Amino acid sequence: MQNYGRSLISSYGQVFFSKNLVFAVILLIVTFFDIYAGIAGLLAVVFTNTTAMFLGLNRQKIYEGVYGFNSLLVGLGIGIYYQPGPEFYIILALVSMITLFFSVAFEGVLGKYGLPYLSIPFLLGIWLVVIATKSYSTLAISERGVYSLNDMYAIGGMTMVRLYEWFNNLAVPESLRIYFKSLSAILFQYHMFAGILIAIGLLYYSRIAFLMSLIGFYTAYYFYFFIGADISELTYSYIGFNYILTAIAIGGFFIVPSWRSTLWVVLLTPLIAIILSSTSFLFSIFQLSVLSLPFNVIVILFLYVLKFRETRIESLSPVVIQQYSPEKHAYNHNNYRERFGSLPWFPMKLPFWGEWQVTQGHKGAHTHQKDWQHAWDFEIVDDDGKAFENSGKRVDDYYGFNKPVTAPADGVVVEVEDGIDDNVIGDMNLEKNWGNSVVIKHAEGLYAQISHLKKDSIKVSADQTVKQGEVLGHCGNSGRSPVPHIHMQFQKTPSIGSATISYPLSAIIINDKSDYRFQTTAIPELDQMVSNPVRNELLYEAYHFIPGQTLQFELTAEGKKQSVAWVVESDIYKNTYFLCKQTNAKAYFRQLGDVFYFTSYEGRKNTLLYYFFLSSFKLVTAYYKDMKITDAYPLSLYPGKFVKILQDFCVPFFRFLHTRFELDYALLTEDGEDSEIILHSETYFTHRKTASPDMQFTITIGVNGIKQLSIQTEKKQIEAKRVY
Amino acid sequence: MEKQRYERPLIQKLENNMPNKFGTRTESAPMTHIDDVAVKDLMDKYGSPLFVISEKTIRTNIRKARKAFETRYPKVQFAWSYKTNYLDAVCRTFHQEGSWAEVVSGFEFDKALNNKVDGSKIIFNGPDKTEDDIKKAISNNALIHIDHLDELYSIQEIAGEMKKKARVAIRVNMDTGIYPMWDRFGFNYENGQAWDALNKIMRSEVMVLEGLHTHIGTFMLSPNAYAVAAGKLADLAIGVKDKYQHEIRYIDMGGGFASKNSLKGTYLPGSDMNPSIDEFAEAIASTLINSNFPPDKLPLLILETGRALIDDAAHLLGTVISNKRLSDGRRTTIIDVGVNILFTSFWYDHKITPAQPFTQYTENTVVYGPLCMNIDVIRDNINLPLLNKDDHIVIQSVGAYNMTQWMQFITLRPPIVMIDPEGEVHVIREKENLDRLLEFENVPEHLKDFTL
Repeated sequence: MQNYGRSLISSYGQVFFSKNLVFAVILLIVTFFDIYAGIAGLLAVVFTNTTAMFLGLNRQKIYEGVYGFNSLLVGLGIGIYYQPGPEFYIILALVSMITLFFSVAFEGVLGKYGLPYLSIPFLLGIWLVVIATKSYSTLAISERGVYSLNDMYAIGGMTMVRLYEWFNNLAVPESLRIYFKSLSAILFQYHMFAGILIAIGLLYYSRIAFLMSLIGFYTAYYFYFFIGADISELTYSYIGFNYILTAIAIGGFFIVPSWRSTLWVVLLTPLIAIILSSTSFLFSIFQLSVLSLPFNVIVILFLYVLKFRETRIESLSPVVIQQYSPEKHAYNHNNYRERFGSLPWFPMKLPFWGEWQVTQGHKGAHTHQKDWQHAWDFEIVDDDGKAFENSGKRVDDYYGFNKPVTAPADGVVVEVEDGIDDNVIGDMNLEKNWGNSVVIKHAEGLYAQISHLKKDSIKVSADQTVKQGEVLGHCGNSGRSPVPHIHMQFQKTPSIGSATISYPLSAIIINDKSDYRFQTTAIPELDQMVSNPVRNELLYEAYHFIPGQTLQFELTAEGKKQSVAWVVESDIYKNTYFLCKQTNAKAYFRQLGDVFYFTSYEGRKNTLLYYFFLSSFKLVTAYYKDMKITDAYPLSLYPGKFVKILQDFCVPFFRFLHTRFELDYALLTEDGEDSEIILHSETYFTHRKTASPDMQFTITIGVNGIKQLSIQTEKKQIEAKRVY
Repeated sequence: MEKQRYERPLIQKLENNMPNKFGTRTESAPMTHIDDVAVKDLMDKYGSPLFVISEKTIRTNIRKARKAFETRYPKVQFAWSYKTNYLDAVCRTFHQEGSWAEVVSGFEFDKALNNKVDGSKIIFNGPDKTEDDIKKAISNNALIHIDHLDELYSIQEIAGEMKKKARVAIRVNMDTGIYPMWDRFGFNYENGQAWDALNKIMRSEVMVLEGLHTHIGTFMLSPNAYAVAAGKLADLAIGVKDKYQHEIRYIDMGGGFASKNSLKGTYLPGSDMNPSIDEFAEAIASTLINSNFPPDKLPLLILETGRALIDDAAHLLGTVISNKRLSDGRRTTIIDVGVNILFTSFWYDHKITPAQPFTQYTENTVVYGPLCMNIDVIRDNINLPLLNKDDHIVIQSVGAYNMTQWMQFITLRPPIVMIDPEGEVHVIREKENLDRLLEFENVPEHLKDFTL
């Protein structure tokens, strides 16, 4: 029942791409400014969501209002047009049903192309009704809209009328007046009060969306002046909401907010104007209003066009995971991309032991081009940068020659080619250019190919399973290989020499002139000296959490003792998270090979779980003293409310708030059962470049996992001891 | 123009074998510089004789050795064998390159601690560990490599008293097909002693079996012997896993890799004949990888290589004292380097190179040290150019064992300098002087005065 109620409310928020309850309630109230329209709208949602449930459509989508909002708009639209009556409600129920069908149909068709269906079902629904009902004699056209003062009187007596008058006479600039009215027109209201309420709700829901609505609207407003278009399109019919909705959709909802997305909001506006004018002319033949048609056309068209881009432009990225908040898109997108890249997670490692140099990287100068651009060549070099000793004229002189080559991850060998002679130094076999090769299938559509192995050194055969680190063969000089080296590439198909894909390695160590650092989701670059981190079992086991496991802590803060328990859970999407039993806070995590990540946190921010989330935001489960792990928290975790609102407004253009996570491997005591590792980590939330940490953490790890967590904030000191 | 060097006249018997227009060539060019520092300058400043250690060579050697193993095996750890050369500067160079410490006495243990090596990164080997040594090792979480059963019982008792678990490994000796078989250290593999010790440790409440250790010999010229040894240790480790569900964390293959020195009695020079560290690495790593360990459960591989990493990093500079002819007509050269500071001349035919230019003429020479002792022979047969009094010579590859086994005998021990990678020279051990030596001595009151 609670969910059903949610489904009704959510349908209102969906009109503005929002899941924010407060905003949805404001919208609900606004619709009831015209009581009958309000009732019609609500009933339309009830009909639709009930039918959807009755049909057995996806519950989650119903609850989120995904199906309801188009019917809501239809309901509001016809509720305004027609006088209520039994016939009206029958028509309403029917049109709600057909709108639902349209919603599902468009979801199916457009969904295949990864496109939203926006309010197309609403358009079809309302046009159908408007045309069809022209011949229904029992439906009477409402006159309410004509005498708005009468309506006001009916709702709230003389006070309401005065309030209404006062509002309309407020010294608001003409353009702003039109803006508010255009906003209210989305819900078929045509007065400033409703518009202001919606604007407040919009601001509360998202600063970026609010900003974009203004940018979109004013661009249109001045464009009309500039081009000499009929301003009455804006002033009379308030059809300007097309600009507002498009601005919100492009400026933050479907595209990650950035200066470039904002630029596109401005550039698309004249296009909407053109579509608006031309379609209005066409539709007037049928005495139909174009309503939100221009918005639908432009947004879907633009999103579709973006899919054909060949050059990846970072500042114009479509939103991959819809979070129903432009702010979250802005703050999390970059963070997510920096942390994990845009690819599915599979822990890949370097296919060798020890330190090798990347002698050709992605888009390399020699052979890593076009379809085969995402590949690496590795060689071993000495301190002087030479890959060989003695004269370098024999393959044996090369440090890399005959060194073991290992599987980058667990998988099944799908193809093996062996028996090709190793070239003499400088020669190349262009006939069999890949040389002796192994292709391993790691997942559907994810294969690794390793090439130029030494003749007759391959130890695996097709259909054999291999584990990460298992020796496949030895580095050789077969195929198109002038000097011994390992070639590795990832590809979507199993045959040797398939087109390559860019896929990152989970964690590597880069040696930059004896300055060692970790890199996670790494694409090693030319000339880098790279090696695999060696797992520390103690650390790995401590951060290897198994669903069902419970972690209990005895917490001491400011002299008070408290008991805290977390359960490790996993959901149907295979997300793993800690659930705090006391507060229901959730901290989502992933262990990807030798990297442990916290991905997101939901819940109160004064829990031990939150501190644990901050303290172990990312770590490589290998122990390297003096090596640092750094990362950035999503900006949405920033504690200061006011500065964050300021930041929200400017996030498409620049950031002045920064978050930072740093972790040090402080101490390792090897003593059998009493072995211990101490990690130090720090959290920085700052708008300055240099600052002292906001929080400091000490994590103590023993053979039974995490033993103790100490938290030092500016105000307090918390000690949490694990209870086994 | 520099004045031409005088060389004494030389009369050489004509050999009646195949004529050769080149005549007998000298071994090599003069060694005038070490790491770009002139030998002459070093001798002028620090006197003769003088040990010179090249930090750059040490680092190159350890890096090369690490690379040889780390590119063949995923988890490798080197431990610096203190007894090979425990000068603090040398040890710390190795520690900076990531090596742990391998010690064989309480004294060496203290030296490692003094070098700020964490106790858990000290491997304690050797047959003589006193009760105090064992206590120290346990309290520092050191890895104790048990040599014999009596030691095992001592640890059992001491750890019990201390109520602290000892981290132990056993040293295993075995037949690896080489002669002589080193069976005096550790527990034998073939006759079951090793299993006997392992069973005792696994049943002990106060010992944790961390690893297995072997050290099959010294100056080994056969990499294959290491393959055999690694295979046997792997079998033991897997046996322990099967029997006790206990995973052994490391396999310590010891040391003994040959350096490039030439052993006495070998025909070809060691630099041409001795296996490279890559050959040892290949033998050990491939055996462990092809053993029954799963690829993600391979134990840590520890190497205690000493000699092969330090030998060629040190040179001994000396000066010709005199030339003589023996009664049988053989030419002899007396230098100021004696066996008291060049202990390894008992084992090796050390390469001796003049530090100044010379002509192609050489003479078969016996090289004697300065001691008034008949055994003081540095080379009993070497083709040397014609040296004069006060000429400088460089004895190469003296880094291993000399600076630990040398003795203060007849003369005082010379200083040791180290050339850092930037070419700076540092005195890392002062020349001994009488005052310092006398500090150790006490003269009873009644012996203080006398009249002659």
